[in-house]
Amino acid sequence: MSSQPRPTQRAGPSVSTTVTEEPPLLAVDNLHTTFTTERGDVPAVDGVSFAINEGEVFGIVGESGSGKSVTALSLLGLADGATVTADRLCFRDEDLLAKDEAALREIRGNDISMIFQDPMSSLNPVMTVGEQIAEVVRHHGDVGESQSLFAELRRKYVTGTSESSASWQRAVELLDTVGIPDPADRANEYPHQLSGGMKQRVMIAQALAGDPDLIIADEPTTALDVTIEAQILNELLDLRDEFGVSIMLITHDLAVVRETCDRVAVMYAGEMMETADTRTLFEDPRHPYTRGLIDSIPRTDDDREWLDAIEGNVPDPTAKPQGCPFRTRCDAAFSLCEEPLVAYSAEEPGHRTWCHLYNDAVANDGDEVQRVDDAEAKQLIQEHEASDDLVTPQRPNFGGEYR
Amino acid sequence: MGMRRYIAKRVAHALVVIYIVATIVFFAVRAIPGDPARVLLGGDASAEAIAALREEMGLTEPLYVQYIRWMGRILQGDLGTSVFSDQSVLQMLIGVAEPTLSIAGLGMLIALLIAIPAGITSAVKQYQWEDYVATTVSFIGISMPGFWIGIVLLIIFADRLGWVPAFGYVSFRQGIIPWLKHIILPALAVGLPYGGILMRMTRSSMMEVLNEDYMRTARAKGLDGRLIVFKHGLQNALIPIVTVAGILLGVLLGGVVAVEIVFGIQGLGRLLIASIQRRDFPAIQGAVILISFVFVFMNLLVDVLYTSINPQIKYGGSE
Ligand code: SF4
Repeated sequence: MSSQPRPTQRAGPSVSTTVTEEPPLLAVDNLHTTFTTERGDVPAVDGVSFAINEGEVFGIVGESGSGKSVTALSLLGLADGATVTADRLCFRDEDLLAKDEAALREIRGNDISMIFQDPMSSLNPVMTVGEQIAEVVRHHGDVGESQSLFAELRRKYVTGTSESSASWQRAVELLDTVGIPDPADRANEYPHQLSGGMKQRVMIAQALAGDPDLIIADEPTTALDVTIEAQILNELLDLRDEFGVSIMLITHDLAVVRETCDRVAVMYAGEMMETADTRTLFEDPRHPYTRGLIDSIPRTDDDREWLDAIEGNVPDPTAKPQGCPFRTRCDAAFSLCEEPLVAYSAEEPGHRTWCHLYNDAVANDGDEVQRVDDAEAKQLIQEHEASDDLVTPQRPNFGGEYR
Repeated sequence: MGMRRYIAKRVAHALVVIYIVATIVFFAVRAIPGDPARVLLGGDASAEAIAALREEMGLTEPLYVQYIRWMGRILQGDLGTSVFSDQSVLQMLIGVAEPTLSIAGLGMLIALLIAIPAGITSAVKQYQWEDYVATTVSFIGISMPGFWIGIVLLIIFADRLGWVPAFGYVSFRQGIIPWLKHIILPALAVGLPYGGILMRMTRSSMMEVLNEDYMRTARAKGLDGRLIVFKHGLQNALIPIVTVAGILLGVLLGGVVAVEIVFGIQGLGRLLIASIQRRDFPAIQGAVILISFVFVFMNLLVDVLYTSINPQIKYGGSE
């Protein structure tokens, strides 16, 4: 270590606080991802904000259709046919929205990698698992093997990948790291020769191959059975400890969140509902939706689908109600809920709730809401919104990546 | 099962198919009305002369005796002698097979070389001008029968422009360029309809592959577009195409017959039709056996290819 003191403050125009925290690894502020369809614009992600710190496991939890997967794809420019905007979308202080396709390719796999839900369909059936990992190692670029189109096609169709090449060796090592027995033999196998859990381990090895800072795991265990699920989640946590990689874990399962995540964001209909550290969220949930979710986590002797506990359905994204999207299902809904949501901070640092019950002008003792002064409350909402009113840069549309 | 054993098994299987085809043809030609002695001697020949010729040809013997004799000869590699020209059928077939296989082979090559790249481009550039051009051309190819394309090409390139000869065939032994000049138009005529269908297949297969989860994985790995298409997509897209290409071979071989007539080429197709008109039993049988031979072995080749590009299939297993 150098003996020089660390600079206590990062250079930058917007640093005005005296707090000298590390900036987050990933900062997302007011993210909007809108798909244009024949039936009209679909706001799949509608004003999402969160931050992920180094070495953290951050959970995003929500029902299917809540926009959690689209959020992940939007980060990497992989949301095809969508328009992505945000006040801020920064990875290590680099603006992801300002990057063109070529620059994003450098980020993908290298700095941020992804693990998808279904390992059966997410691995290429005609390539050996070794090669699928080795190509990421080459893409990462520190083994000095050519990854030109010609070289890659020759490897694929003519010579195969040499087992003595550094990239292949590294692939075997990675298979070993993620707990696959006989990695040297397994590397030569095709995905259909492996079990579901093994395939997901291959996906993890592949995600690690570029030595990323952030792994986005999109429902990584949903397609697997329960015993394998626990193994895979433990594997991910071990890797976090070993490599210091941050993990963004997308899931519909609060029980998974409780077991694995440091902090968590709850999403509903493309919007944020609540974010807090995991412990706070479970001990002191403030949002009615979060409370409903926690109440409905099944006990081990209970087979019910946990979502049954909340009445009603997720709103149709093309016809979302004005204001809070949850108000069609919310027992606590009141007059202010037709106003657009804003974040209300709780005492616990980092605990924010997007629910008008926590407007200062609303007397709220937890169960009873008394409308004290609607006009004053609306005023507060507007002030809140104005403070967030930044310029929104437009992201180029990357629909059709193969050109 | 290893590849060797698989191929040996498939060859044995192919031989059985050819045997069955040969047997069916043997009885079928004898079931059609008209007999070779009468055709050969003409309408005003005397009944005695016809009977004598039938005797000489062995046609008076019971069918099963004829069949066993014929089989015995075939197993010795003897396809018999044409009743019409007294030439050995094998010699005749060797003479006509070359132009036919040249046309079919070049036609197939042209079709594959155009259809696969065009289909991939079309899928990747979906709903852009490249796609519209490729689908329109393939649509034209599909909608026009080969002999009609042949006539149009003949009028333009042989008659008007005079770039290539209009009729006949020259063996490649007399020079590659003259050979190519004679077969290029017929090859295009059989290749374009075949290529049109293949292009449509490639387009839809590739489009399906582009939407697969593993393609999204490849993008999330940071690979660039062309690499994703050609390394991760192409082989998957080709799996269904190889099967269809094999089945369509029959269509292509059928097309050659009509095209040979348009271009006045003495090929297998014309020999077969002439032999049927003359009731030249040995020649018909020989030609059909040769065609089924080509067809069965091309399909065998396709199967081996299919197995080798699809790791999910084991040789001989049907997983
Ligand atoms: S804003 Fe209103 S409708 Fe929405 S969760 Fe809060 S109380 Fe319920």
